[in-house]
Amino acid sequence: MTAFILKRLGFAVVTLFAVLTIVFFIVRVLPGDPAMAILGDQASEAALSALRVRLGLDVPLYQQYFEFLGGVLVGDWGVSMVSGRPVIDEILKVLPATLELTIASLILGAVVGIPVGVWSAVRRNKLPDYVARIASLLGLSFPAFVSAVLLLMFFSIQLRWFPVISSSQGGGLGEHLRNLALPAINLGLIMAAYITRVARSAMLEVLNQDYVRTARAKGLAFAIIVRRHCLRNAMIPVVTVVGLYLGILIGNSVLTEIVFNRPGLGKLIVGALNQRDYTMLQGMMVIYTLIVVLVNLLTDLTYGLIDPRIKYS
Amino acid sequence: MKLRIGVAVATMLAAGNALAAGTTLNVGMASADAGKLDPHVATTTPDKGLLYWMFNGLVRIKPGEASPEFIEPDLAKSWTSSDDGLTWTFELRDDVECHGDYGKLDAEDVVFSLKRAMNPDISSFAKDYSAFESVEATGPSEVTIKLSENVPSLLGLLVPYHGGNIVCKDAVEALGETYQREPVGTGPFMFAEYQPQQYVKLVANPEYFRGEPKIKEIYYRYIPSDASRDLAFQAGEIDMIYGKQEQSWVKRISEVPGTKVVVMRPGEMSVLHLNMSAPPLDNILVRKAFAHAISRDAMVQFKGPDVTLAAISPVPEGHLGYTADVPTYDYDVDKAKELLAEAGYPDGVTIKAIHTTLPGMLTTMEAVQALLREANINMEIETVEHATFHEQIRKDMSQVVHYAAARFPVADVYLTQFFHSDSIVGTDTAITNFSHCAVADDEIVEARTETDQDKQLELWATAQKKIMEEVCAVPVVQSMQLWAWKDTLDLGVEVNGSLNLSPPVTEQASFSE
Repeated sequence: MTAFILKRLGFAVVTLFAVLTIVFFIVRVLPGDPAMAILGDQASEAALSALRVRLGLDVPLYQQYFEFLGGVLVGDWGVSMVSGRPVIDEILKVLPATLELTIASLILGAVVGIPVGVWSAVRRNKLPDYVARIASLLGLSFPAFVSAVLLLMFFSIQLRWFPVISSSQGGGLGEHLRNLALPAINLGLIMAAYITRVARSAMLEVLNQDYVRTARAKGLAFAIIVRRHCLRNAMIPVVTVVGLYLGILIGNSVLTEIVFNRPGLGKLIVGALNQRDYTMLQGMMVIYTLIVVLVNLLTDLTYGLIDPRIKYS
Repeated sequence: MKLRIGVAVATMLAAGNALAAGTTLNVGMASADAGKLDPHVATTTPDKGLLYWMFNGLVRIKPGEASPEFIEPDLAKSWTSSDDGLTWTFELRDDVECHGDYGKLDAEDVVFSLKRAMNPDISSFAKDYSAFESVEATGPSEVTIKLSENVPSLLGLLVPYHGGNIVCKDAVEALGETYQREPVGTGPFMFAEYQPQQYVKLVANPEYFRGEPKIKEIYYRYIPSDASRDLAFQAGEIDMIYGKQEQSWVKRISEVPGTKVVVMRPGEMSVLHLNMSAPPLDNILVRKAFAHAISRDAMVQFKGPDVTLAAISPVPEGHLGYTADVPTYDYDVDKAKELLAEAGYPDGVTIKAIHTTLPGMLTTMEAVQALLREANINMEIETVEHATFHEQIRKDMSQVVHYAAARFPVADVYLTQFFHSDSIVGTDTAITNFSHCAVADDEIVEARTETDQDKQLELWATAQKKIMEEVCAVPVVQSMQLWAWKDTLDLGVEVNGSLNLSPPVTEQASFSE
């Protein structure tokens, strides 16, 4: 197990290096000028050139690259070219909000998606199955920003149960959860839709296995067969999807963050991209890569917990 | 039971909102986050709007107005100028305190501040102060500015806008880089807290020389989604909201009970700059055909008659030096076709335009495209994201550049930045002359240093006429600034405009309940 983890971490270092290298060069190839983002559109060419020198953008690209790598190795991620604030501070200030939203959505998605998916498989081609399939299809095809606005209009404007601005300051745990509720529901329902579909198809496959037929033939109650013999075996594809989706979710939560006005990594990366804030984009990529690598590692380790036959070598 | 819980929660929320009114002002701004909050560096509308409530200048434009004709004393209680207009002496108030523990503001602070605004290594606006030869403290409360040549509006450079914001020397030196995040001024409100992607909190300055503000806290909230901002306003979570430059927004937000919608100057001028350096727009007949193909009335109707004005001259209406006495090109499709045929394009012409994906600007350009098509001018629009747009139009990659800008309301600014040959894109001194227009250089330069105001106005008028005669650009519409706030909020002044594009929240602002 330790050897497996170390091996995976070794791969992670290589992945991180590759991602950083690609991102470093891609952002610099893109049209757009950080100096103009800072000085504004009235700035003269001379002022823009002077700022490019101050930002270190005038030195050869390879030199910028090695300086950047050297910085990353010693934990210096530089300062944002646009705001002047340290990159790591900017990221760490909003990272908890993103993780909180992601985890809340994951829990909601799993709590709703797994039982509905299993129920749908067990009631295959009956009314509950049709309802679950249509609901999950709706969940997958509904754009997150549309569902977000609808949730706000209903729960915040009509019922006044939740605030429109989810980032409201102050308040205790109750207030905090109230702020989190709508964004988590918005993302969680999309996740639930994914999980429902995967759980349903995985369950259907397991239900057709010989050992299930045998269990039924020997007279075991169907509920026991599902709970004891099927559920665990059907969970591996679900865990795979959750692991994959978690990485995507962190990146794709930007629309939810914008509509519910929550702080988060998504908003940070969109802002950095619009303003060609190279240092911020590079810092963001380090974080994203680390998160994706970590989530994949945890997913792999979870397989062993679900199915003891899986060995790590 | 569920209903009862809902009612209880709603009641609590309503009570919370009511309590929050009174002395706390919540403002919703269309931005994802704060940028640099150093007044000599900040260039974006959201940042400038916030800094407006925190800083003073030597003079100021009367709150609620945007034109230099309303200039009045601010930190300086009086001033004199030499006969040649090259030496200006300002007598400062002696009751101005810097925010926090940075002491009384004196002449040294003002000198430090103006020199900082002039320094191209620090300031985004150094070029505006290039005619400043020296700035000296000639007494504890006296500052003397010497100019190398006359400038169109010296007092305009000293209002709390861009480099005219006066910073406190001790604060800048003590805070170093932190000053960009925690600005210290002398205005009615002081910086208190910044929460990334959420808000900047300001608190009342109890030592403010015009009196302690009645509003005690301002939460300047960054809400990039238009829909969410509107909903937050509708839910009563914010009291003042930055609007979308659309007629439909005005209509929609006006329907929220207890709302006051304000249309402010300066307008953002939408102009189509025609690249005269390459075919087919190097031919004046094609440019005239282009101008005749655009109906300003249709554009005003399209953008909304309550929020836009037809643009006549390349300088916006209401700006110092504006004239309506310029050649105009009436909407006439047949005439446009005739001109094209005369220019050698009887079957029409195709023009390439690169344009930003920003929705407000893109819809304008698409409406122009539809109008041009009627006159056999096929404008192919290639859309790119905003930063790419700015880079590519500065490389002469677009034959037509649609540019929307609000600038300091003096004709010289528009004429210099968009129509003087020094500003032609691709040159070392480039700013935003996309048309390569150079027909009014003499008038623009002469007007800049002219001390006789009548002559100056005449020179600016001539420059505008020449630019329009050559059809360097086609002015389309002027989009006004839109804000709305609760009618219980009284700003204490009538709001017609604001140079910093945010309403004047001063010591006079208060809630009536």
